[in-house]
Amino acid sequence: MTSITLSGVNKSFGANFPVIRGVDLQIEDGEFCVFLGPSGCGKSTLLRMVAGLEMGYTGEIRIGDRVVDKVEPADRQVAMVFQNYALYPHMSVYDNMAFGLRQAKTAKAEIERRVQDAARILQIEPLLDRMPKALSGGQRQRVAIGRAIVRQPKVFLFDEPLSNLDAALRVHMRSEIATLHRNFPAASMIYVTHDQTEAMALADKIVLLHAGKDMLKHGSIAQVGKPLDLYHRPRNLFVAGFLGSPTMNFLPGTFIAQEAAGARVALKGGEELVVPVNGGALAPGGAVTLGVRPEHLAPVAAPAAQTLTRPVTAVEHFGEYSFVYLDSGTPTPMIAKVAGDGGVKAGDTASFAAPIECCHLFDGDGIALNHLTSL
Amino acid sequence: MATSPITRATGRVAVPVLGLFWLAVTTVPFLFMVMTTFKTQQESYSSSVWALPEALDFVNYADVLSGPFLTYLKNSVMVVVISVILIVVISAMAAYAFARMRFRFNEALFGLIVAGMIVPIHITLVPIYLMTRHMGLYDSPFALIGPYVATSLPISVFILTEFMRQIPKELEEAARLDGCGPFAIFFKVFFPLSGPGLSTVAIYNGIMLWNEFIFAYVLTSSTSTRTLPLAIWDYQGQYTSNIPAILAVVTLTSLPLVVAYAFGQEKIVKGMMAGSLKG
Repeated sequence: MTSITLSGVNKSFGANFPVIRGVDLQIEDGEFCVFLGPSGCGKSTLLRMVAGLEMGYTGEIRIGDRVVDKVEPADRQVAMVFQNYALYPHMSVYDNMAFGLRQAKTAKAEIERRVQDAARILQIEPLLDRMPKALSGGQRQRVAIGRAIVRQPKVFLFDEPLSNLDAALRVHMRSEIATLHRNFPAASMIYVTHDQTEAMALADKIVLLHAGKDMLKHGSIAQVGKPLDLYHRPRNLFVAGFLGSPTMNFLPGTFIAQEAAGARVALKGGEELVVPVNGGALAPGGAVTLGVRPEHLAPVAAPAAQTLTRPVTAVEHFGEYSFVYLDSGTPTPMIAKVAGDGGVKAGDTASFAAPIECCHLFDGDGIALNHLTSL
Repeated sequence: MATSPITRATGRVAVPVLGLFWLAVTTVPFLFMVMTTFKTQQESYSSSVWALPEALDFVNYADVLSGPFLTYLKNSVMVVVISVILIVVISAMAAYAFARMRFRFNEALFGLIVAGMIVPIHITLVPIYLMTRHMGLYDSPFALIGPYVATSLPISVFILTEFMRQIPKELEEAARLDGCGPFAIFFKVFFPLSGPGLSTVAIYNGIMLWNEFIFAYVLTSSTSTRTLPLAIWDYQGQYTSNIPAILAVVTLTSLPLVVAYAFGQEKIVKGMMAGSLKG
């Protein structure tokens, strides 16, 4: 049993500074779960609570069937990979990896076998006699992962392990972590990051966390689900805006009426669209927000039903695709991600259509209205 | 901040000039001391103080070494080595607690210990003398160890606490995950990683205690129990002093320190600078 269960978990720093509020979460056996969120949302704190490095919380944390709230970190059968690697500078790579096993009084032959096995998996066998200062960033990260592997933990914990690496190495190490997950299918993994790309690429499950006032108002967890669930069916404006790059376009509008095909809304630009959501609870004339991702906007030759027509304010070309910036009537421009050069330039007026199943509608409180069709 | 060419040129000239001046200030007395040791007592009175010795005469060294100098040396080495070991171990353990453990009155206690640096040792002489007599340690080299350790702890704890605060917290957490308790974290992670800080404390205190005079003067009285700084007294009479012999004692006494500082100065400076610069 390597599942992790958090029930009613709250944590404050001092008397008046809550960082985690009302977390109820189930991570299944062998699942790769990513804690994602903006700075200060408490994702690392939550991870450290699972590790046993952060105490003084209320609620209950279970690993498998065992409540671990009062269990020392070393006895929780977890292993952690730190953002800055946390290798012992005065020990060789071998000793770094063997240290925990020696502390646990593991037999010498067993230590040797486990360290060599981990070194082979991570391809760091030639580095075993080196000191950490003689290693590159990527090598240090592998050693840190190796130190976790040799302990054969039930749970691997990763605290932003790739954020100190350059972009190319980050992509490479990301795939290695995915491979590690395949090699240890029984172990659950919790991975903390603020990088949505890493989260989307690695996660079986994403836990997106609120920060600040949203955390106080709605609790820490904004949404839990599979990566594509969060991408295609965000629960609220925060989730919709956090996932995706460039971020989702939000266009203010007014609810007109619920029709069979969906909710009819009038945008500030004058267009009327039908979004396939259930707006039955909305009052006609109520404020709503239409959400549509830049990559879902496709250029069309002329204005028509279900299209958005706006003046082009700027175009950024990236070769394979371009970002077309459109005047949204709000301080934030609307962005369309189009193939090639987009065929438009600043000063033009351009029309874009969005597949209606990719449009989202949020009520006055920023809560997403349910789609009429499932994914 | 941009500097003008004139400022840079002035700096290029002024820094070496000031350096040479300071070198002269520190070296000339040392050279004077060594030079005088080769003069006879009579010569030291009759010739100019800056005159070179007439011959390289080692008679003063022979005279010093034939006396109780080696007994003083043995006592000094024993007292300083034991004291420095105790200072390093005790202050490192205290520093780890102050730097990393959260407990009530942590900051207040740290402040109190550091405040110990401003207590002049002279006002403690009488109580320490009485305590030493009461404990039956008077006129023994071991009488010095307690006061030496106690008076050296404030600066040592201060240096090591600042040093240990800079050791990344994640190393401690990694050790906890690896199954270490506070003692294992201290001895297996913090102590080895505090090498430069420990060297600073050891060398700094070694120098201070090697030269320590007042406690040695108050707490010991026999030739067999005294330490090197008191050796000078053997060559000082009521009406006259054998200055070349005294300077020979000082030269021999300072030699170990000169050697230690030559090899350890980098570590002393590094330890002293701990916390002053962002890594």
